[in-house]
Amino acid sequence: MKKDTLLSVSELKTYFFMESGAVPSVHGVSFEVKQGETVAIVGESGCGKSVTSLSIMGLVSSPGKIVGGDIRFHGQDLTTISEKEYRKLRGNDLSMIFQEPLTSLNPLFTIGSQLDEVILLHQQVTKEEARQKGIEMLKKVGIPRAEQVYRSYPHQLSGGMRQRVMIAMALACEPKLLIADEPTTALDVTIQAQILQLMRKLVKDNNTAIMLITHDLGVVAEMADTVIVMYAGQVVEQADVFTLFAAPAHPYTQGLLASTPKIQTIEEELQSIEGTVPTQETMPKGCRFFPRCPHASEQCVQNQPSLLKIGGGQLVRCWLFDAKEAASG
Amino acid sequence: MASYIFKRLGEMIPVLLIISFIVFALVFVAGNPVALMLPEDASQEDIDQLTASLGLDQPFLVQYGKYLFHLVQGEFGESFRYNTSALPLVLERLPATLELAVAALVLAVTMAIPLGIWSATKQNSPVDLLAAGGSVIGKAMPNFWLGIMLILIFSVMLGWFPVSGRGTLGHLVLPALTLATGLAAEITRLLRSSMIEILNQDYIRTARSKGMREGMVVYKHAFRNSLIPLVTVVALQTSTVVGGTLITETVFSWPGLGQLLIQAVHTRDMAIVQACVFVIAVLVIFMNLVADVLYRLLDPRIKYE
Repeated sequence: MKKDTLLSVSELKTYFFMESGAVPSVHGVSFEVKQGETVAIVGESGCGKSVTSLSIMGLVSSPGKIVGGDIRFHGQDLTTISEKEYRKLRGNDLSMIFQEPLTSLNPLFTIGSQLDEVILLHQQVTKEEARQKGIEMLKKVGIPRAEQVYRSYPHQLSGGMRQRVMIAMALACEPKLLIADEPTTALDVTIQAQILQLMRKLVKDNNTAIMLITHDLGVVAEMADTVIVMYAGQVVEQADVFTLFAAPAHPYTQGLLASTPKIQTIEEELQSIEGTVPTQETMPKGCRFFPRCPHASEQCVQNQPSLLKIGGGQLVRCWLFDAKEAASG
Repeated sequence: MASYIFKRLGEMIPVLLIISFIVFALVFVAGNPVALMLPEDASQEDIDQLTASLGLDQPFLVQYGKYLFHLVQGEFGESFRYNTSALPLVLERLPATLELAVAALVLAVTMAIPLGIWSATKQNSPVDLLAAGGSVIGKAMPNFWLGIMLILIFSVMLGWFPVSGRGTLGHLVLPALTLATGLAAEITRLLRSSMIEILNQDYIRTARSKGMREGMVVYKHAFRNSLIPLVTVVALQTSTVVGGTLITETVFSWPGLGQLLIQAVHTRDMAIVQACVFVIAVLVIFMNLVADVLYRLLDPRIKYE
C-alpha cells in the first residue's frame, strides 16, 4: 500500500483573541498524517488538541483564529481556500466525530434525516438512494434494526448508539481523513471497545486515515500507528506507538505513562504529574514543562527547546537531548 | 393527540369556574349598580324595589349560584345600557379585537424573527446594537403614548392612514403597529439570546462539520430549536396583547371588546364586564392550549400523556 502524505500541518498557530489579549491555544504545531495511517494526539485537557483538530476542519469559531502556519490536505493549503471550497471537503473527504455523542445530534430531526443530509450534500443521489445508503451505513456500524433506528429521534437511542450514528454520518461519504475527537470518552468501557474496534475495521476497509484525539493511553496503544504528545499548545514528542511506550523520551510523556495504573502491581496511590498546565499568565519563558519537570535545569528556565530528531523517527522537545546531541556532535 | 386535546379542554372547566368566581366577586364588591340605573331623584323605595327585583339583596353565595346557573347556559345577564343579553353583544365585538390582536402578533413576529436571528448571528454588529437599542425603546413606550404619536405623525401630519375607526386595511395599520412594537421588542431579545445559546450547541458544530452552508445551519438546525421558546413567549404575550387592546382600541376608537369593556366599566354595566372578562379569559386559556399542542408538534422529545 502506498503511503503518501495526506495531511501535513506545519507551524500551525491558532490564537483566541479575548478581551484580556491573545491566548495562543495552538503554538507552532507541525505533524503529518499519511494515507490510511492512524495518528493519535495525546495530552491533558487544555493542551490544544481539540483546537488543532477544529483548525484542520476550519471550524474554529470566533474569537479563535488561525494566525500562522499552513495545513496541507492533498497538497492543498486549507488556510487559503474559500469557505465554499472548504464546505465541499467537510463531511466529504474530511470528516469529524465529536466527544459528546449525547448532544452532537440535533434533537428535533430523525437519525435518517441527519444522515441523509450529509449524503445529499456531497453525492449526486436521489432522496431514495440517500435513504438506502443511510440505512446501509447504519447496518455497517453495527446498528440492529437499522430501518427502525433510521426513523428514530436521537433521544430514543443510547449514547453508544448515538456515537455509532455519528460514525455512520462521518463515514457516509468515505472520507480520506477522519478526525475523531475523544470519540469514546463519554462512553462506558465495553462500548468504548466496540466503538474502537468498529472504527478500526471501517477505516481499514476504506484506507481512511484517522487523527485520533485522546487523553486515554489505552486507546492510543489499541489504535495508533504514530503518537504525537502535546503540551501547552506545542508538540513535545512524536514517535511510533511501539517506541513511545517502550522508550518515552520527554519527561512529560514519561510522566503520562507512569500515571497510568498498572494491573500487575498494587499501588498505594495513583501516580500523577505534579502541578497543572500553565495558563497564559503563568506561561514560562523557557521550556513550557519545566515547572513540573523533575529534570529541570537553569537552561530549561531560560530558553525554549526546539523539536529534535533523536533517531528512529522519534522527535522530542527537551534540553536533555539537546545536551546529549551537543555532546556527541 | 385528539385525546390529549380533549383532556386539556376538560381541564379548562375548573379554571373557568375559578375565573367566574373571581369575576363575580370583583363585581360584587364594586357595589350596587342600581343607583346608576335610576334617576338621581329616585326614592329609597324605588331603589330597594329595583334591588330586590334584580335579586341584588340576596346573600353573595346565592347570587353567585344563580349567576353560575345562568352562566352554564351561556347567559351573562342583561346589559343595563343596551337592554339586551350581554354575551351576544360581546361576541359581536370579538372579531374586531381578534383581527387587531392577530394582526399585531403576526406583525410582531415578522419583525422580530429576522431581527433576532440577525442580532444573534452578527453579535455586536451595527444591526445588533440598533436592534438592542430599538428593543429597549420599543418596550419602554406605553401603548397610549405610542398610539397618539403614530396618529400624529402618520395620520395628521402625513395623512397616510386614517385617524381612527375600523374598515379598510389602512385602518388596521396604526393600531396593529402600536400593539406590535412592545411585543416585537420582547420577542427579538428572547430570540437573540436563545439563538446565541443554540448556535453554541454541539449539534450545530456537527451540522457545520458536514459541510453545510452557514445559512442552512442557522435556519434549519438552529432556528427550528429556537421555535420552542418563541412559541412560549408568544403564547404568554397573548394576554398582554389582549390587555393592550383595551387601551389601543380606546385610542383608535376601534370597535372591539376593549372599547366595550372600558365603556361598561364606566357605566357599571356589570353583565358586560363579566362577559368580556370571561371571553378574554377563555381566549388566553385557549392560546396556552395551542402553545402546548405546538410544543408537541415541534419537539419529538415532548410526549403526549
